[in-house]
Amino acid sequence: MGCTTSTHTGSNVSYTKSRKAISAAILIQKWYRSYVARLEIRRRYTWTIFQSIEYAGEQDQIKLFNFYNSILSQMNPDQDGYPKLIKVFNQRRRTSTVVDLEEEEELLRLTSPSQIHINSSYNGPHLSFPLSLSQLHKLVQAFRRKQSLHARYFIQILLETRLLLKQKPNISKASTSISNKITICGDLHGKLGDLYMIFHKNGLPAVDNPYIFNGDFVDRGAFSVEVIIVLFCCFLLHPNEVYLNRGNHEDPVMNIRYGFVKEIQAKYEGNAKKILRLIEDVFSWLPLATVIDNQILVVHGGISDTVDLDILDKTDRHRFVSIMEPPRGFSEDISHVPQDVLVQWKQILDLLWSDPRHQLGCTSNTFRGGGTYFGPDVTESFLEKHKLKMLIRSHECKQEGYEYSHNGKVLTVFSASNYYEYGSNRGAYVTIHGPEHRCHFVQYMSHHSPSLRKITFTQRVCLTEASAIDDLRERIVSSKSELTESFRHYDTDNKGKISVSNWCICMEMVLEMGLPWRTLRPRLAQIDNSDGCVLWETTFEQLSIRNRYSGNGPSITETLYRHKDNLETIFMHIDRDNSGFISMNEFEDAFGLLSQQLDIHFGDQEIKEIASCLDINKDGKIDFNEFLEAFRIVDRHGKDKVSKTSNLETMDASVLPSKGKGLVQKEHVITEDEENR
Amino acid sequence: MAGNEEQQKDNADSLIADIQKKITEAFDIFDHESNKTVDVREIGTIIRSLGCCPSEAELHDMLAEIEEEEPTGYIRFEKFLPMMTKVLMERRYKPAPEDQLLKAFQVLDQDGKGYLSPEELTKYMLEEGEPFLQEELEEMLSAAVDPDKRVILYKDYVSTMSVEDV
Repeated sequence: MGCTTSTHTGSNVSYTKSRKAISAAILIQKWYRSYVARLEIRRRYTWTIFQSIEYAGEQDQIKLFNFYNSILSQMNPDQDGYPKLIKVFNQRRRTSTVVDLEEEEELLRLTSPSQIHINSSYNGPHLSFPLSLSQLHKLVQAFRRKQSLHARYFIQILLETRLLLKQKPNISKASTSISNKITICGDLHGKLGDLYMIFHKNGLPAVDNPYIFNGDFVDRGAFSVEVIIVLFCCFLLHPNEVYLNRGNHEDPVMNIRYGFVKEIQAKYEGNAKKILRLIEDVFSWLPLATVIDNQILVVHGGISDTVDLDILDKTDRHRFVSIMEPPRGFSEDISHVPQDVLVQWKQILDLLWSDPRHQLGCTSNTFRGGGTYFGPDVTESFLEKHKLKMLIRSHECKQEGYEYSHNGKVLTVFSASNYYEYGSNRGAYVTIHGPEHRCHFVQYMSHHSPSLRKITFTQRVCLTEASAIDDLRERIVSSKSELTESFRHYDTDNKGKISVSNWCICMEMVLEMGLPWRTLRPRLAQIDNSDGCVLWETTFEQLSIRNRYSGNGPSITETLYRHKDNLETIFMHIDRDNSGFISMNEFEDAFGLLSQQLDIHFGDQEIKEIASCLDINKDGKIDFNEFLEAFRIVDRHGKDKVSKTSNLETMDASVLPSKGKGLVQKEHVITEDEENR
Repeated sequence: MAGNEEQQKDNADSLIADIQKKITEAFDIFDHESNKTVDVREIGTIIRSLGCCPSEAELHDMLAEIEEEEPTGYIRFEKFLPMMTKVLMERRYKPAPEDQLLKAFQVLDQDGKGYLSPEELTKYMLEEGEPFLQEELEEMLSAAVDPDKRVILYKDYVSTMSVEDV
């Protein structure tokens, strides 16, 4: 290095040299620190975008719940024919008058594994019951090799699990007196790699290695089936050391929207109906919470100021097949749900959906749309009342996989790594040791690609950011016309330019996502360097390549983007038996009732014609592609707002198909509640 | 010329309003409890993310100006806003242009090789000036070291970093 030079020259020069080196170092250091700071702020807003988009989806879902709630509050359910609509969606379930015993018989008859034969071509693992540890090992290996488990074995596992779960109380009691430790895992969301990572690091469940899995095993990830099979097998092997708490995604209504139903339909084509029917029953038998050593409550979401463990203890949890719908037995006449059952319903909803907040008190969770926000004071008085010292919950993705709040009294544990995108967050689990309950955290990030090179923080931020911005752009395109209208309003002299402030106002007014628009602006729109104004049309520029429906013109693209999720949900609701297809009968029933309730009368023959028009390939049933393509979706925003309570009831059948054209031209109009979006 | 003066005053007002919105937004990203305070340890990130490039010593002075008399570990927005508005209006702590940064690397490259070895950079960054933490250093090296040649080709490094850093 520079030593040789400095020995030959005088000390004065050497002094100047080192002075220069110091200021050079400082310059580089301060430049680098600023660079990292700007990266950090990008990481933060990326997180906000993901959360905002995620919760917006949940809000849609919870609108269904609110819809039922609004009916509950009406004393006379005969107005507007509402009950009929509920009937449409509840027929998918069971008829309510069936007594438990009969229903049980029916379920067992329907799902009898002996009816399913194993073909000689099946090369997956074979199981026999009672299950053994070596069989579990084989199963784990088979899933690693991407093999699948035969429907017959899957059903057997579900039936066995169901029998054992039925014997469990609503609130499990776990003890660490023998094992001296217990492990708690949060949301897994169908990420088998994360579950395997946990077992790899912490061992399989055993008498001296108890586990609590704190809900949300399924949905979102691609391996929900495998995750619950492995979890249920662990439970069957160690029913007293494996505790399974119900999460808000152990719910058939959520599964329709968030992927689990689709996954089952794809993996168990012929037997999907039976399996789904059985799974929703198994889910309704999952315990609601676990208490460790009478001191620590473990529950998926959280608490509220009304949650009372003594009430929950006495609840018939099995009634609540879906937390988003009226309890079983009341679907026909929900106005007669007794007060005590309503109280229980609200409490379960609070347990599974709530989030802790810094603010004092208990407010309704407007961001998610369900459950509550509970403050440190709520936690404090709850813990005191039940003589507990701590609450462990999951439900929210955390960058480090875990996070303390409420002065260390509330701990969030989230076990799905890379939840939003590769690199977005670590997963973590917590082990609790000894009588003093020391918490030990293990964090990890499972690799979904075999890339060996460790990516740098910079690359990680850029990758996740790109994906978040993509999702955001999808949101932007789905509101292009409202945004354009709003930009035009400020662009008074029609130059295609508006100030940055006004651009931010427009973005927030239309999209209502609470994002730092000013900070995001450079990623989303260009400015005119001469005056610093936003060239607002550039907001939409990078979207054109993503336009998958280019043939249909922008407005169709826009509405499809906006409604695809809702359409899919509607489709699955009409598909009462979860077959993946809407049969002609299902369509006629649903459509008939919907049109009655919208007070448009047409005869059976006409409804049949519409159904047959939708069936493009004339195979007697409607699949989702046909449903999407054949429905000419017209955005009638502002023209004909039918109702504001639910997305489903805004299905409007106003115009009949013109005969002879083959395809339906414009029958269905899906409008959406603009205020709530 | 009263009209002109008024015009200028208007412009200045809207400039201040704009700057203050920017500051508010950056502050809010870190205001986790929505009570218009942020953790004092994050104030550096906020200031730097607003395009300022102060040294640690300068940052320290800025902090001293806005901290409570009895330090609480939190910084209040009402104290932060006027200080930051002033800094941005006076365009203080502007980041060094690319060529100046390149010169700084050249100073450290005393033999004029055109690159720095990871050991050289480590020594300067950990021992000189306002030393990096080990973590900061590792992160810097992970991006700066050329994966094939195993040295820091600082000219390339500086130019890619300035492109990336929109």
